Amino acid sequence: MKIDEPAPPSEATVLGLDNVPLELPIAGPGSRSLAAFLDYLVVGIGVFAWGALCVAISTLGKQTWWWMLALFLVGFFVIEYGYFAAVEIAREGQTFGKWAIGLRVVTREAARPGPAAFLIRNAVRSVDLLVGVPLMALDPLSRRLGDRLAGTLVVYEHAATREMVLRRTPRGWSAQEAALLEAFLWRAPEMEAWRAERLARQLLKCIRHDDPALAAEIDPALSPVDALGRLVKSA
Amino acid sequence: MDYARFVRLRAPIWDQFESRLSAAQKEPRRLGHADLESVALAYRQILHDHALAASRFPGTGAARRLGVLALRGTHWLHWDRGDRVPGPGQFFARTFPLTFRAHLPHLAAAVALFATALAFGTCLAIVQPATGAAILGPHAIEGLREGHLWTESLVTTIPPVVSSSGIAANNMSVALAGWAGGAALGLGSLYVILLNGFLLGAILATTVHYGLLGAMLAFVSAHGPLEITLILATAAGGLSLGQALVAAEDLPRRLVLRRASRDALVLLIGCLPWFIVLGVVEAVVSPAPTVPAPMKAALGLGLEACFLLLAWNPLLPAERR
Repeated sequence: MKIDEPAPPSEATVLGLDNVPLELPIAGPGSRSLAAFLDYLVVGIGVFAWGALCVAISTLGKQTWWWMLALFLVGFFVIEYGYFAAVEIAREGQTFGKWAIGLRVVTREAARPGPAAFLIRNAVRSVDLLVGVPLMALDPLSRRLGDRLAGTLVVYEHAATREMVLRRTPRGWSAQEAALLEAFLWRAPEMEAWRAERLARQLLKCIRHDDPALAAEIDPALSPVDALGRLVKSA
Repeated sequence: MDYARFVRLRAPIWDQFESRLSAAQKEPRRLGHADLESVALAYRQILHDHALAASRFPGTGAARRLGVLALRGTHWLHWDRGDRVPGPGQFFARTFPLTFRAHLPHLAAAVALFATALAFGTCLAIVQPATGAAILGPHAIEGLREGHLWTESLVTTIPPVVSSSGIAANNMSVALAGWAGGAALGLGSLYVILLNGFLLGAILATTVHYGLLGAMLAFVSAHGPLEITLILATAAGGLSLGQALVAAEDLPRRLVLRRASRDALVLLIGCLPWFIVLGVVEAVVSPAPTVPAPMKAALGLGLEACFLLLAWNPLLPAERR
């Protein structure tokens, strides 16, 4: 008898406590570039707002004008170089662009990076604007130069409650069959109604065949999709 | 155990962990020791459930949910303690001097390269006077012919408050470019070192050509020594980054890069505040005709000595980092 060997861990697998393997959902160059684009929009808006504020205050007098020009130069420098690192430190690895796309910076071990790591990965941003995307495309962990220097990765941050988890399954159903039912219930709201109802009727037929006791609880007043959902999701 | 029973028995623990983790993330300061311990215990249970679900029920919603919860818990409960940032006192009294001492070879390399580029720029501008004109532009050359340095406009056209902030921001940009350029295999740092050396040499030689070397030296003497030192020190950090990328030697590259990047960051942070002081000196003292040249030179040497004393910190005993 041939025994299935476990698949070798991928590069995105880290070992957690008690050597439990964790698969990191690595963010690719596309979503990261989109997040960066949103962040540069925020930087642009920030610089514009700062400039407008300086201009507004400078109208108070000629002496004020020079002071506000000096403050604008300083503020421009601080926003340009400080936005990414400051926001990542304050929001634990999420700039506003990453937050919008659902990304987060973590260490290679999936932990929270320290401030030094955030400073380093953002200090080389000017170089990464030139070589970052090709480097991410070539690396299985999608690391740009800043990530390599700081020892960080960017991962997707999913909400755990979004996952569909069955509370009851028909007697004798395997995990694969349960996974199929979960996948159907997860996708049913986005499917065409007639197609979802047809698949739900087929699944209900299987349940009636495999577990008549459970099938007795099917509510005939509901549509097949709703009846199926209520049957397997209620504890 | 079948899948549904596993979910039925364990789901309350998952729900509880998720709600506790969310509450802890929102208000970490309200978390007591007992709360933290219970979150950590639940995290361990989550990890074990995740391992079981991944091997017995792969591809199911429970396996995916547990994977997400395990990652959230790992992220929140584990913090890279190696990256602790010292306070300003400890940083400038110990961390920065130790790093500065450790990177003297890189600084020496940067100084040697700078001196070579300076000599080359000087020779080229002497042999080919058009080099200076190409760098400074026709307006500045016209001024030199009339016996005026272009730097005089620093006090006549814009107030010192504007020029000092502009100069400080520009100098910091150059230093950051030299530092970050180290990530491009050290090439960016080399470029910044060589370009600055070449430009300074060519400009000095051009002022010699017009008999204004004394005025030029008087202008740069207050801020020049420290400005060059700071640019070379940050570029030395960039060179160490480049070395770690190119030649990791017998250590894993990941470790070498981590150490080099942290050291380079310390050098950068230790130098950046001085650029603000320099911006003020360069905009207020350097172009001021009322300040005598010996006083400017004394200020320049004093600033340089202060920086080197702080960077070396002779009170700190020699020790391994």
